[in-house]
Amino acid sequence: MIAVLVVSHSRPLAEAAVSLASQMVGAGDVPVAIAAGTAEGGLGTDALAVVAGLEQLDNPDGTLVLSDLGSAVLSAEMALEMVDPSVARRVLLSPAPLVEGLVAGLVTAGSGAGLRECAAEAARGLAAKQAHLGGDELGEVESSDADGAEVRAAIVRIVNPSGLHARPAATLVSAAGKLGGEIRLRNVTTGSGWVSAVSLTGVMILGAALGHEVEVEAGDPAAVSALVELIAAGLGEL
Amino acid sequence: MTQELTLENARTWIRGFRDVIAREAGTLTDLDSAIGDGDHGINMARGMAAVSDALTLDDATGPQANVADLLKKVGMTLVSTVGGAAGPLYGTFFLRMGTGALPESLSASDFGDALARGLDGVVARGKAELGDKTMIDALAPAVEAYRAALASGGDLASATVQAAAAAITGRDATIPLVARKGRASYLGERSAGHQDPGATSMAMLLSAAADAVA
Repeated sequence: MIAVLVVSHSRPLAEAAVSLASQMVGAGDVPVAIAAGTAEGGLGTDALAVVAGLEQLDNPDGTLVLSDLGSAVLSAEMALEMVDPSVARRVLLSPAPLVEGLVAGLVTAGSGAGLRECAAEAARGLAAKQAHLGGDELGEVESSDADGAEVRAAIVRIVNPSGLHARPAATLVSAAGKLGGEIRLRNVTTGSGWVSAVSLTGVMILGAALGHEVEVEAGDPAAVSALVELIAAGLGEL
Repeated sequence: MTQELTLENARTWIRGFRDVIAREAGTLTDLDSAIGDGDHGINMARGMAAVSDALTLDDATGPQANVADLLKKVGMTLVSTVGGAAGPLYGTFFLRMGTGALPESLSASDFGDALARGLDGVVARGKAELGDKTMIDALAPAVEAYRAALASGGDLASATVQAAAAAITGRDATIPLVARKGRASYLGERSAGHQDPGATSMAMLLSAAADAVA
């Protein structure tokens, strides 16, 4: 059975998330450790505490790491470089949101699934909530359908080696701004919700990596084609 | 004129950084409160106090054998005591600076190479680039200015002064930028108009280096 390490800024947050997830069938049997908070009990993360957690949990089936945000992610990555390579090889850092990912990850681990399967389930942890709320996580109202206006959509693959990081995302946002009208994007590969193409934060949230498929939707078919062409050409980066 | 970064002036550098961080913790925290989680000053002050204890900076000598050893100890201590993203970022910076077969004291070009390694480490750790409103906006121009100063015949002291000046210019240039990394990126456009706290503390680090080798 795999083990799960929770990396958080806050020990109470990590403990509560573990207790919530452990209520699920079989999840309570999974070995879990927490690396959270500063030594004085404040908010923060400590890469050496993550190292200790990874070493404590190390087992032949592997360890899945769920983290909250910011320094938790950086500390987890740093810890992975600091532990023995034989330990690091059996560790996966999950990009899933902490609570949803932990529930999905622990339930899957409790069923005896392998590390990759648990990581995949954790990454899909948001799907149920998104489906329930209509996949419109930023709360934007769909107006074009209501007006009876035609909505066009197309799917395009990301070709930038580092994905939609700051520079290409900014290029996309400024192009979408110039095209005008409502243009929405979603990451088909990760099953993300829709975001506005003119919001840099929104576009960054997509987490679109090389090879991911992104769906572009707009009321104006010309705007869809223009953006698809731009994205397919690497957003001026290639 | 100082030609080499010795263990003694490396200790002076880190002590100077500790002192300016302690003095300016409130300023850093105020900058961070405007666009982030408001803990940069207090986190850095806690980290540098721990570094000071670990390296016995107030004594004449410490438990470190040479400059590389000192840099690594600073990095390891920051990694586990800062708490925020500055921990892994500054930790990586110092650990990478101290990596490799370094001589007892660093020549001007050794120190330039170490700064460049530190920059590469921070870029890899934070996955940020120039213009993302991060400490890289102070550090990258500093590394570049240091190289240029050496290339035009400068020594350790003059190149470090040029690096510190470039860091301050880079720090000020973060004000109009929109943050694309870290907690501030959640603010989007609202992060513009504020000086980046990470670039501010990085400029302090390079100014402390310039003071130490002057």
